[in-house]
Amino acid sequence: MADLSTTWLGLDLASPFVVGASPLADDLDALGELVAAGAGAVVLRSVFEEQIVAEEVAIHRFVDSHVDHDAEARSFLPESATFPVGAESAVAHLERVRDAVEVPVVASLNGVTPGGWTDIARDLAAAGAAAVELNLYDLATDLDETSADLEDRQLRVVAAVASAVEVPVTVKLSPFYSALPAFVRRLEHAGASGVVVFNRFYQPDIDPDELTLDRQLSLSTPAELPLRLHTLALLHGRVDLSLAATGGIHHGRDAAKAILCGADAVQVVSALLQGGSAQLVSMHAELARWVDDLGYPGLRDACGAMALRNVADPHAFERINYARLLDGWRPPRSEHRHG
Amino acid sequence: MTDPNTNTIDANEAVASVAYRLSEVVAIYPITPASSMGEHAEEWSTAGRTNRWGTVADVVEMQSEGGAAGALHGALQAGALATTFTASQGLLLMVPNLFKIAGELTPLCMHVAARSVATHALSIFGDHSDVMAARGTGFALLASGSPQEAQDLAAIGHAATLRSRVPFLHFFDGFRTSHEIQKIVTLDDATLDALLDGDAIAAHRARGLSPDHPVVRGTAQNPDTFFQACEAANPFHDSCPAVVADTMDRFAALTRRRYRLFDYVGHPEAERVVVMMGSGAECAHEVVDHLVARDEKVGLVKVRLYRPFSMEAFIEALPATARSVAVLDRTKEPGATGEPLLLDVTAALVDAVARSALPALPRIIGGRYGLSSKEFDPPMVKAVFDELGDESPRRRFTVGINDDVTHLSLTVDETFTTESDDVRRAVFYGLGSDGTVSSNKASIKIIGDTTPLQGQGYFELDSKKAGAMTVSHLRFGPATIRSTYRIAQAGFVAVHDPGLLERVDVLQRAAHGATVVLNLPGATEGAWDRLPRRVQGGLIDKGCRLFVIDAFAVAERFGLGRRINTVMQTCFFALADVMPVEAAIEAMKASVQATWGRRGPEIVRRNIEAIDAALAELHEIVVPTTPTAPESTRLTVPDDAPDFVQRVTRLILDGHGDRLPVSAFPPDGTWPTGTSRYEKRAIALEIPIWEPDLCVQCNRCSMICPHTAIVTKAFDPAHTAGAPATFRSEPEGFTPEFEGLSHTVQVAPDDCTGCGLCVEVCPAKDRTQPRRKAINMRPAAEHRDREREAFEFFRTIPDLPRTAIPDHPRALALLPARFEFSGACAGCGETPYIRTLTQLFGDRLVIANATGCSSIYGANLPTTPYTTGADGRGPAWNNSLFEDNAEFGLGIRLGLDANERQARALLAGLAPSLPADLVTELNAPQPTDDTARQRQRDAVIELRRHLDTLNGPEAPTLAALADSLTPRSVWAVGGDGWAYDIGYGGLDHILASNHDVNVLVLDTEVYSNTGGQQSKATPLGAIAKFASDGKETRKKDLGLLAMSYGHVYVASVAVQARSRHTLKVLQEAESHPGPSLVIAHSPCIAHGYDLVHSPAQQGRAIKSGAWPLYRYDPRRTATGEPPLVIDADPTSLPMRDYMEQEARFRMVELRDPDRFTRLVRAAEDAVRERHALYEQLARVSYPTGPGSSNGEEAHDG
Repeated sequence: MADLSTTWLGLDLASPFVVGASPLADDLDALGELVAAGAGAVVLRSVFEEQIVAEEVAIHRFVDSHVDHDAEARSFLPESATFPVGAESAVAHLERVRDAVEVPVVASLNGVTPGGWTDIARDLAAAGAAAVELNLYDLATDLDETSADLEDRQLRVVAAVASAVEVPVTVKLSPFYSALPAFVRRLEHAGASGVVVFNRFYQPDIDPDELTLDRQLSLSTPAELPLRLHTLALLHGRVDLSLAATGGIHHGRDAAKAILCGADAVQVVSALLQGGSAQLVSMHAELARWVDDLGYPGLRDACGAMALRNVADPHAFERINYARLLDGWRPPRSEHRHG
Repeated sequence: MTDPNTNTIDANEAVASVAYRLSEVVAIYPITPASSMGEHAEEWSTAGRTNRWGTVADVVEMQSEGGAAGALHGALQAGALATTFTASQGLLLMVPNLFKIAGELTPLCMHVAARSVATHALSIFGDHSDVMAARGTGFALLASGSPQEAQDLAAIGHAATLRSRVPFLHFFDGFRTSHEIQKIVTLDDATLDALLDGDAIAAHRARGLSPDHPVVRGTAQNPDTFFQACEAANPFHDSCPAVVADTMDRFAALTRRRYRLFDYVGHPEAERVVVMMGSGAECAHEVVDHLVARDEKVGLVKVRLYRPFSMEAFIEALPATARSVAVLDRTKEPGATGEPLLLDVTAALVDAVARSALPALPRIIGGRYGLSSKEFDPPMVKAVFDELGDESPRRRFTVGINDDVTHLSLTVDETFTTESDDVRRAVFYGLGSDGTVSSNKASIKIIGDTTPLQGQGYFELDSKKAGAMTVSHLRFGPATIRSTYRIAQAGFVAVHDPGLLERVDVLQRAAHGATVVLNLPGATEGAWDRLPRRVQGGLIDKGCRLFVIDAFAVAERFGLGRRINTVMQTCFFALADVMPVEAAIEAMKASVQATWGRRGPEIVRRNIEAIDAALAELHEIVVPTTPTAPESTRLTVPDDAPDFVQRVTRLILDGHGDRLPVSAFPPDGTWPTGTSRYEKRAIALEIPIWEPDLCVQCNRCSMICPHTAIVTKAFDPAHTAGAPATFRSEPEGFTPEFEGLSHTVQVAPDDCTGCGLCVEVCPAKDRTQPRRKAINMRPAAEHRDREREAFEFFRTIPDLPRTAIPDHPRALALLPARFEFSGACAGCGETPYIRTLTQLFGDRLVIANATGCSSIYGANLPTTPYTTGADGRGPAWNNSLFEDNAEFGLGIRLGLDANERQARALLAGLAPSLPADLVTELNAPQPTDDTARQRQRDAVIELRRHLDTLNGPEAPTLAALADSLTPRSVWAVGGDGWAYDIGYGGLDHILASNHDVNVLVLDTEVYSNTGGQQSKATPLGAIAKFASDGKETRKKDLGLLAMSYGHVYVASVAVQARSRHTLKVLQEAESHPGPSLVIAHSPCIAHGYDLVHSPAQQGRAIKSGAWPLYRYDPRRTATGEPPLVIDADPTSLPMRDYMEQEARFRMVELRDPDRFTRLVRAAEDAVRERHALYEQLARVSYPTGPGSSNGEEAHDG
C-alpha cells in the first residue's frame, strides 16, 4: 500500500482525506466509520458567529424579557435553563469527538467581525482542537465598505483568532478576491498557518411563483475542482502556508489533482454525504493506486508537482490560457458528445 | 461591605430556602403567589442541593393541591420530613388532608403565601381568608409580617412541629410579603441544625409506616370512640404554645432575633392597643413608634402563634393599662359576630376577667382591613388609634375604603405620615416587558450587598398580560424598614415607558423637589414641549429636577431592542445618590455578568456597552416656570359610554379604583360585558396599515388577530356616506354572495398590541416589491390619529345580519366577533379560538371558564372583552374555579335544560290559547342554521306578544322563560392545566355523561398563567418548570381517552396554521348533540420564541406530527364510516426541525445534545406509534346491524 501520509498545519496525518466542516462529524458512530475508512483528520461543523449572537439575542428578547413580567408568572422557563447559548455545546461535542477518534480534530469557526466571539476559538482550542479553521464566509452587502476595507476587517479577525490560540489557524477562503495571492500573503503575516480553498456559497435561489427565496442546499460536483486547482497551483511554494482543497473532491483522482497542484490535504464533504464511508474507502484506494501507478515513493513527493513553479507549461495557469481557450471555443453541435 | 450573612431576597425565596433544607419530600402544585417557593425548591433539587440530612429533596409537582396534600400525607406517614407551599383555593383543596395530618399528630410545617379566596370574584392578592378557612383543621397557625420574619418563623415552625407533633401552617401575606424584597440576615445550616431536635426527628421516623413494625392508622371509628379519641390529642395542642415559645427562645439565643407568641411594641403603659398579625403589623409598628415618640400611650400586639391561641400569653403581652383594644382582621366572615382574631381576643379578655387575671374588660372593637392586598398605610393605622380614643367608637368597622352603604369605614387623615427623612424612596413606572422590575431587583441587591444600608423593594404588577404597567417602590435606609405600604413621597421618580406619561399620573408619588427621570424618545432639544401638560404642571408645582434620556435609542444602538433596563438603572444610580456612581456602575456590570453571563458574552457585552453609553445620553432639562403643552382634551372614556362605564370603569382606568365607594359596586360580582372597548391603551409602537390595492379579501388577518384589533367587514356601500377620508374600503370582489357590497380591513389603533401576526399571515404581495404586503406594520405615531378616526367611523357601520353571511371559511371570518381587546399577551395563541367561538356562536354562547390565562384576560377588571351585538346578544360568561370547570359547564347545561323543560311544559299547557303554527314553530327541532334560528327567535317575540294578552299565572312565567326555547351553546373553556390535570376527573365525567356540553381546551402544553410549570400536556422533550431537563414521558393523549367513550365528538385543531379546519371542527362540535372535546394548539410565550412566527411554527408542529389534526365524529359510525378522520400528514417534516425552533426544546439541545437527540428520537417514536394507532382507528370497520347504530344521522361535516 502506498504511503499516503502527509503533514497539514504541522499535524501528521495518515491520509490527506479530511472530513470537511459539515454535519458529518455530528454522529460519533458514523464518524468512527469514516476514520476507519481512511479519514486523516476531522473538521467539525462550523460554529457560526451570527448564529450564536442571533440566538443569544433572541433568547434574551423572547425568554429573558418575560422574567418579572406579570403578577402571576415570575418567568416561563426554569432558571436552570438559563445557561449559555454560546459555543458550549460545540465545545462539549469537540471533547466527545476528540475522545472518540484517534485522528486530529479541527474546530471550525465562521465569523466576519472581530469581537467577543474570538473567545470561542480559545475555548475550542482549550477543549483539544488540534487546529482552528476560520471560515471567512462573507457576503459584501454594504455600499460603503470597499474591498480594501473588507479585507482589512477580515485580516483583523484572523489576527484576533491567531493571537487568541496557540494551535495553528487555517483560513477558509471564498474565491472572490480581486488579488487573492496578495491577500493570502497578508493572511500569512496576520498569523495564519494555512488556507483552505474554497468555500462554497450557498446562495439562495428564487422561487418565481411565490416571490420568495428558496434556500436549498446543493452539493458540490467535480466540476468545481478546477477553480481550486488553479489557486493551489498559484500559491504552492510561494507562501509559507499549509494548503488544503475543498469543494469538488469526489474521487481519488480528484484528490490526486489537488495534491499535484500543492494541496497538503483535501477536504471531502459532498461525496461522503452521498456515498458515506464506502465512498471514502474507494477514494482512498484509488489515490493509493494512483501513487503506486505513477511510482511516487509517497504522496508527499507528488505534492505541488503541477504547481505554477513546477509545471511544464506555466502559461496554462495564467491569463494566456484563458485567451487561448476562448479563441478555441465553438458552439456545440447537436451530435457533440460531452466527455 | 456588609455582613456576609445578609442577602437581599423576597420572602418566598427565604422561606423556601429553610423549608427545602429541612425536607426530604416537597409535594407542590403551582398557585399564585406561592408558586415561586415550589420553583425554587425544584431548582435546588435539580441542581443537586442537599438538605440537612445530606440528601437531595424529591420535589414533585402533583395534579392539584388536593393531590399534593395526599402525597404529603403519604410521605409523612412513611416517616419522611415533608413540606408544601400553597395559597388560597389551593389551601382549601388541601383542607381535608390537613384534618387528617393534624388528627394523626404528624409533624409538618407548610408555608402559605396568604391570598384571598375567590368569592364574588377571584383575586390573586393577599389577605387571610384562606388561612382562616383552615383554622379548624387542628394545625398550628404561625404568622409572619416581613421577609426576615418569614424566614425566621419558617425555621421555628419546622423545629416546633417536630417537638410538639402538632402540624404547622406558617403564613405571610401574599405579594406584600411573599414578593417583597428585603435585605435579611440569612439562617445558616448550623443554626438550623442547632434548632432542630434530633430525638424528635428520630421519633417521627420511628412512627412511619413499616411492615417491620406494622400499625394501622386511618381507622373508621364509631359514636362510642371517636369523641374520646379526638380529646386524647389535647395534651399535644395544649403544650404546643409552650413548645413554640421555647423554640423562639432557642432561636433568639442562636440568632439574637427575638420572637414571642405575642410580641408587644409601644408604650409600656399604653391605653390604646391594636392587635393584628401579618404584614400590616409592620406598618402599625412604624406608626406606634412614631406616636410613642410623641408621648402617645399606644401599643401594638403582633400575633405570631394564632393557633393554638394561648390566652395566657396574650394577656401577658397586653399592657395592663390598656383601656381600649382594636383587633384588626385581614379577612371577612359574613354573618359572624366578628372576624376570627377579634373573637379569639375577645374570648381571651373575657376569660381573663372571669379568672381575675384582668381587673376589668377593656373596650374591644374590631375592624377589617386590607382585603386582597388593599393598601394599609400609616394614616389608616392612625385612624384606628383615633377611633380607639373616641368616646363611642364603632364596635365594628372597616378601614381603607369608603363604605357609603353600611357606613362602617373610618375616616382617614391622608396627610399623616411616618416616613423617615433618612430613608431614600424611589418609584419607577415601567412596562412588564421592559425589564424595569428585574433591574430594580438587581439594584436593591447591589445596594444591599455593597452598602450597610437596609433595602426594601415592592412591585406592583398588573395581571394584564400585554403592555402591563409595573410600579416599583424602593426604599433604602440605615435602619430596619417596616413600611409595608406603597411610597407616597418619593425623592426619585423614573418613568421608563413614555406611553405612561399620558395614561398615568406619574408624579402623584413625587415628593417636593424630587428628581424625575423620563425615558423620552427623540432629541433633548424640545423635550419639555413634548411632555403632556399634566406632567409639565406637576414638575413645576412640585419643584422637581427633570432629566431625560432616549433610552430606546441607546438600547437599540446596542441591539437590545426594547430592553432599556440597564440604561435606566444607570440613570438611577447616577441621580439617586444612594451610593457612589462609579461603584454602582462596577456593581451593575458585575450583576450583568452574573445574570447574563450564563447567556453568553454577547449579551453581557451589549448590556455593558449600554451602561457605559447611558450617562452621556442623560440630560438635565431646566424646568420652566409655566407649562407650554396644550390642555389634554382626550377623555379616558368617550362621552357616549354607558353610565356604569362613566361612573365606575373610568375611575378605575384613571387609577382611582381605591377611591371608589362601596356603593359603586355590584354586590354580587355581576359586571357588564363589552367594556374593553373603552380601555384605550395604545401600547403598540407599530400598527398594521392596510393597502387596499393589494388586498385579496382573504380575511386571514382578522382570523389570526389575538386581540380582535384588526377587523374585516363586508357592508352595504351606502353606509360610507359621510365617511371620513381616512376610512377606506374596496368593492367586495372575492365572495360572489357579497356582490355589490364593500369590504374593509380596519385596525383598532389603540387596541393593537403590535404583535405583527396579521402581516405575517397576509398572503398578498406587491409583485414589484414583495416586501410590501396588503397590510404592513407602520409606526403607530404616524398613523394613530388617522386610524382612530377611521376606526371610530368603522364602529358605526352596521354588521351584516348573520343570515347574510355564507357558511364558508373565508366569509365566516366576517362574522362579527363578540370578544375583543382582551388583556392577553401580544401574539397570544389562545384568543383566536375564543374569538372564533364568539363569531360562530356568540349570540347563543354560554361559557364556563376554568381559572387560568383565559379567565384573567377574559374578565380581568376594570374591563371585560366579551361583548354584544346590536341586538344585545352575546356570550354570557362565568368562572367558577380551576378544578371544577367541566362540572360547572355541565351544571350550566343542566340548568338551561331545566329552564327549557319548564318553558316547554308551560307552552304545552298554554298551547290551546296560542296559534297552532306558532306552537309548531316553537316546538320544531333544534335549528341548525342561522336562518332557522332567527325564525325561532322571531317566534319567541311573537309568543311574548300573545302571552301579554293571556290571563293566569302561567303566561308571565312562560314569557320570562321563553328565550330558553331557543338553543344555547354551552362551552367549557380552559387550559391544559385544567383539562389534563386538576380538572381531568370532572372533564372525564362530563364527557361520559352524554349531555350536550362542548369543551375547548386551549392547550399551551404548560401552566402558562402561573409561569410555565409542566402539565401532563407538556410534550416529551420540552423543558418546563418541574421538568428542567426536558420531559421524558409522553404527552397525555386526551383526545384518545375521550374517543374511547365512542359517543364523544373529539377533534384536534391548530388555528394559526389551519384556520379553515378549526372553523369546520367548531361547527361540527357544536352541532354534535352530545359532549364534544376540541383540543386547540395554542402557541404561548412560554414556548420561548417570537410568536410572530407561530403560524409557521404551528405548521411545523403539524407536519412533524408533534401536533396531530383529526376529527372523531360518532355520527359517522351510523353510516358505516370509521368515526376518526386524520386531517394532516404527520410525516412530512423531521421532528428535530420542529423542536429546534422553540427555546423550550432547544435548551435541552444546547445543554446536552446527546440527550436532545435521544428525546427527539423518543418523540419521533411517540408520534409514529400514535399515528399508527390513529391510522388503524381511521380505517376501523365497526359491525353494523340492529343495535349497533346510535341512531343519529350522519353529519355531512
